[in-house]
Amino acid sequence: MKEQFPARMVRIHFGEDDRWHGKPLHEAILAKCMELGIAEAIVFRGIEGYGSGSRIRYSSHWPLAKDAPIQLSIVDTEEQIARLVPFLDAMVENGLVATSSVEVVRYTRSASKVAED
Amino acid sequence: MLNTGKAMKVCIYLSDGATRHGVPVYSSILDFLFYRGVAGATVTKGVAGFGADHHMHSASMVEISDRLPIKIEFIETREKIDAILGKLEELAGTGLIEMQETTVLKPAQVSKPKQTVPPTHLKIEGKAQMMRIYVSEEDRWKDKPLYEALVAAMRANDIAGVTVYRGILGYGAHRRVHKDKPLHANHHGSVMLSAVDTEEKLRAFLPLVDQMVAEGLVVFSDVNIVKYAYRALEMEAQS
Repeated sequence: MKEQFPARMVRIHFGEDDRWHGKPLHEAILAKCMELGIAEAIVFRGIEGYGSGSRIRYSSHWPLAKDAPIQLSIVDTEEQIARLVPFLDAMVENGLVATSSVEVVRYTRSASKVAED
Repeated sequence: MLNTGKAMKVCIYLSDGATRHGVPVYSSILDFLFYRGVAGATVTKGVAGFGADHHMHSASMVEISDRLPIKIEFIETREKIDAILGKLEELAGTGLIEMQETTVLKPAQVSKPKQTVPPTHLKIEGKAQMMRIYVSEEDRWKDKPLYEALVAAMRANDIAGVTVYRGILGYGAHRRVHKDKPLHANHHGSVMLSAVDTEEKLRAFLPLVDQMVAEGLVVFSDVNIVKYAYRALEMEAQS
């Protein structure tokens, strides 16, 4: 099935070492997205980068500096994103949140077929 | 531009060890010829020889092998050579310069139309669109991974560029069915393809995406492109 609709994309940048209640922040945000039923969320680990605080973050090939840059990309409708934002405000202490208006095309298999997977 | 017909061929004989301001003489001469727009020049290194000083220079004699003879050769029109000869004599120092009349039977072909001012880089700015496609790494199209097939399809359709990112964590549209099982949040198979091109080209590509992507999300956003390209003119000439 194909649906096409305007939506909002949120990208959150922070470090891999950032935590939320003892859990990696990106896992915590992803879990929150699932809980809210956000359509799409994906976490990327950067090779190198810097952000707020201006420290350069390296990926794991630098054994002593493991704080790799993380980018979380979330896509859903304006309303769904609006529900998520208060949680992001609370959870992201040191990072950057960028949002943009996008248009999405979503392809889904019929429910019966998904059940077979 | 060198044309068929009469021209002059210049040979400059130097010693390899000769330097000028710390730079090998042949290299400063070559640079000079290049900057002055000489049609072409070749530097060859002899295996043995002797010059005005009548010392034999040979590759087999390790201690003086840096004094091997060097020959710079180029062909140009008489006028051009007259214009650069003064400076050339100065650059060649103790070296010998010889010139002979020659006939160009076939000038070298320049593979692309010569640009009047070769840009070091070209900056293109403008409106474009970014298309991000979220699929699962395990998704397949025919006999290969879907993301690879999509890249190949984009290439075939001359989409300007695409990059595939592998997510370390994620879930997509089809995972929502399993959202009550928290373990499914930890699947390691989300990939994102990010392609940038004009709106028309990306929209024209969408029907193919319709065919290839059974489950997934395609996100379009307006972007401004600022592009630095060396091959920009060449690309424009082709399109």
